[in-house]
Amino acid sequence: MKQLLLSVFVIVVGLLAVSIPAIAHHGVAGYDLTKTITLHGTVTKFDWSNPHIVIHMDAKNANGEVQNWTIELAAPTHMSRAGWTKNVMKAGDDIIAEVHPAQNGAPVGISGTVTFQLKIVINGQTLPMH
Amino acid sequence: MQNRLIGLTVALVAMVALSPNLPAQTATEHGAAKAQQLNTASHAPDFSGLWTPRPDGIMLNTWDSSDPYGKKPELAPMVPWAAAKWKEARPPFGAKQTFEGINDPVQRYCDPPGITRIYMYPWEFTMIQTPKMVYILYEFTRVWRSIAMVPEHRKDPDPTWLGDSIGRYEGDTFVIDTIAFNDKTWLDHTGHPHSDALHVIERFRRVDHDTLELAVTIEDPKAYTKSFSGKKYFIATMSPMEESICAYSEYDAFQKTVIDPATKSPGK
Repeated sequence: MKQLLLSVFVIVVGLLAVSIPAIAHHGVAGYDLTKTITLHGTVTKFDWSNPHIVIHMDAKNANGEVQNWTIELAAPTHMSRAGWTKNVMKAGDDIIAEVHPAQNGAPVGISGTVTFQLKIVINGQTLPMH
Repeated sequence: MQNRLIGLTVALVAMVALSPNLPAQTATEHGAAKAQQLNTASHAPDFSGLWTPRPDGIMLNTWDSSDPYGKKPELAPMVPWAAAKWKEARPPFGAKQTFEGINDPVQRYCDPPGITRIYMYPWEFTMIQTPKMVYILYEFTRVWRSIAMVPEHRKDPDPTWLGDSIGRYEGDTFVIDTIAFNDKTWLDHTGHPHSDALHVIERFRRVDHDTLELAVTIEDPKAYTKSFSGKKYFIATMSPMEESICAYSEYDAFQKTVIDPATKSPGK
């Protein structure tokens, strides 16, 4: 099994002055859009399905404990139009993902909707933005 | 159910493609007089192609031009029962958007969005015009509807999710008049309800080659004290429509995997 290379990165990189009020299937009330954090870890599952694509990844928190994060993206149709496919990542890949985290502190975040896309890097390659 | 809808849509497209009833622009070959009688003159405006929301309209959350983004949805001219029902709505969009206890019939139950709300989703649609019928195929949830090019509604039609639609051309505008809805859908993303007396008028007009204007007027004397209306714009796209199915199992999994964990109070 590929050795996990996990680095601790939970860095608040910015405060957004303007919120993004609406996305495809639901709003973003559960996420803190004023924060963007960067996670570095390993993909554990890539779920290409409706209503939104979901990435599951392991990353260490500030205490060195591994957390399994769930990251929401836009719908498959919109990600497809942005140039993504089911093959852009797989379990075991190295991933750096910018996310707006859940407001309640759970390891859940959102990296993209039909109106924005944060940076996702897989094995050193930045995936298409839209 | 979804598979059946997909099958019906495929069959519909194939039927139209193979039909001897050519699009309205060439209807003269099969009898201009008849086409004229059916209000589908040979010079009927062409709305073919794929249409996607213009980016500035993606945030549209209501059809009330005084509050298009749903910042004050409580000000809609609702009668008391409608206002009470709206207060119970826990929508994922608009001023009172929430992740907790969402009861959006589309997001929670995969109900059809209804014909006024479906235009608020950022997906495409296409229109197939024939002399007797016009079909609109929506990418989101892969739902389609038919608009009969006749002057009058059927007598006392039964209530349905998409209603009973009739159409006509007024110069460069395609006008759709729809009644006979059930009362199960929301009018918009902010949870405004409606009754079975809902009457919707859609007016499509091509403001230029690549821009389609849709003006929607909503009348519902049982639920609102006055009618209201709004506009939304769509642009031509070459991107083919893809699969955007509302499969309950997928939505339920997403709810449990993403929404619920992001909703629970810390420590629970």
